[in-house]
Amino acid sequence: MPERRELSVRGTPVHMLEDGAGPPLLFLHGAGGAGRWLPFQERLAKTFTVRMPSHPGHGGSPAAEWIEHVSDLAFHYLDLLDGLGLARVHLAGASFGGWIAAEIAVMASHRLASLVLIDPVGIKVDGWIYPFLFGMDIPEIVATVFHDPMAALALAPPDQSVETLALQYRQGAALARVAWNPYLYDPLLRRRLVRIAAPTLVCWGAHDRLAPLAPCGETWAREIPGARLRVFADSGHVPHLEEPGAVAEAVSEFCRETKEAR
Amino acid sequence: MKFYYFHLMPYVMDHDEPSSWVTLSNRLYDPKVGHTLYNQYLDQLEYAETLGWDGLCVNEHHQNCYGTMPSPNVMAAMLARRTSRAKIAILGNGLPLRENPLRIAEEIAMLDVVSGGRVVSGFVRGISAEYFSTGANPTQSRERFYEAAELILRAWTEEGPFPFDGKYYRYHYVNPWPRPLQKPHPPVWCPSQGSSETVEWAAKRRFPYLMVFTPIKRIAQIYGEYREACERFGYTASRYQLTVNVPIVVAPTDARARELAQQHVMWVFNTGLRMHPPFWRPPGYMTEASLRRLLANPPKLPSELTFEEADREGYIVYGSPATVRDKLRVFSDELKAGIVCSGMNGGSHEKTLEMMELFAREVMPHFREDAHVDETAGVGR
Repeated sequence: MPERRELSVRGTPVHMLEDGAGPPLLFLHGAGGAGRWLPFQERLAKTFTVRMPSHPGHGGSPAAEWIEHVSDLAFHYLDLLDGLGLARVHLAGASFGGWIAAEIAVMASHRLASLVLIDPVGIKVDGWIYPFLFGMDIPEIVATVFHDPMAALALAPPDQSVETLALQYRQGAALARVAWNPYLYDPLLRRRLVRIAAPTLVCWGAHDRLAPLAPCGETWAREIPGARLRVFADSGHVPHLEEPGAVAEAVSEFCRETKEAR
Repeated sequence: MKFYYFHLMPYVMDHDEPSSWVTLSNRLYDPKVGHTLYNQYLDQLEYAETLGWDGLCVNEHHQNCYGTMPSPNVMAAMLARRTSRAKIAILGNGLPLRENPLRIAEEIAMLDVVSGGRVVSGFVRGISAEYFSTGANPTQSRERFYEAAELILRAWTEEGPFPFDGKYYRYHYVNPWPRPLQKPHPPVWCPSQGSSETVEWAAKRRFPYLMVFTPIKRIAQIYGEYREACERFGYTASRYQLTVNVPIVVAPTDARARELAQQHVMWVFNTGLRMHPPFWRPPGYMTEASLRRLLANPPKLPSELTFEEADREGYIVYGSPATVRDKLRVFSDELKAGIVCSGMNGGSHEKTLEMMELFAREVMPHFREDAHVDETAGVGR
């Protein structure tokens, strides 16, 4: 069981889960993933000291009014690293969390031992418009995000209480504040990806319908210098949920290799 | 009591799509039919003035068959030239939906000058679905609304040019020509569904509060909150600050009116307001406090409202002239509403005109004890 920690990052309260032993790895969750310590995190914790903070307004972290742009989140996590006294970490992020991780990487690549992006959103990809999840009901969202709909059960809400519905609304609002329009991307990010100097692994679900491998995954792999692309054959947008063992293994292997190469 | 004729300008149609908003394909809109409808609807509004209505109402909605007035100011412009006495109430312009809200200050001022000072300017946030059809960020809706309202009011009342440096709207030169004719500015109304934040905001500024398509019990509750807020701000609300929008059906007999209400008014709720569920609740459009209040007592979706419920809960006023008079007495005497806005639908243009005539002849004269009062004097500014 991961340890639950309550932190204050420059006055912004943060709820964080932490477990494992080994080099530090910061994992940034996607929409709906806050506070969910799943087989993927368990596997990573065998190799790394894994820290998974909930973004402000997600999970147990209260909403922060000051966060109005995705770069605010990136600075927030650089502050978190400072607060934890971590000079360098392995940084991994999935979907929305991958977007934040990429923003951090273009700002402060030197803080990263490695960068792992799992089906990130966040850049404008020529020839692709992300389907508008905010306009979808639950069945449509599941069909867009998951290759295996059963995998969605891991993220299903525990009940339909007022508390649960209010949390979901708060999470949707926190996401919409930074991602409603432009939807799921920062127009400036793509041209900045060239600044990323950390060894980068791009993981992609072969059946991603929110951000398909072609053109999205291929664009990320092309724009980040030296990035390696790994495709997961039985996954949609969330391979770390759909093939947790394989993705965790790929992450561990990549980080080991990059360490040996140095 | 004052009577305002309210038009949605619906494109009445039946369809099996899950939503009448945002995604209902506009291939279903036939511009030839639209041509006839727009002109009939404008005829109805103009005729309402002839029959003695005090005001004519238009409103803004986007991408739906419920109300085909994406620009209410365009319709108001036509009415400004074709009418001469009635107020022209724009209920309203969706302030946060505009990238450049100074345009609203300009357009309303134009209408006010052309119409000789007959404009009532509604300020709204736009309903939930509007945030899907315009791309405006619902999490910024409230802040944008307050900021745009401040900008517009200053543009109407302060001598220009002056700079405006807001969070969302920035101008080096605010200096609109023309200025509005009414002083200090056209009355502002707040049509809303009762969020406590809006009640406070409107009460503080003496802006009339308009309840739209709301069960009568809730109207009473919100009116109470509004009056209380006015007292807290140091004044007693005038009855012309309490307005209501309720569909009215009047016919020679109760039975006939009931039939017409079932046939035509329920379309507005059951089809016109049929919405794909996510479109009702864009993220961050409501405060979390408002959301919790809503979840504690979830209202019925309009698309699921039965006629019996609509009847019982007072969503509709229908009946013979005598019955309608009795029902309106509840609004005038118990709720103490000063203005009733209502649209009518007799099933065809001709039948609608007949219904309006019946109402003007048999109902309206019974509520004219305030005929000499200007309902816009001292309120809304």
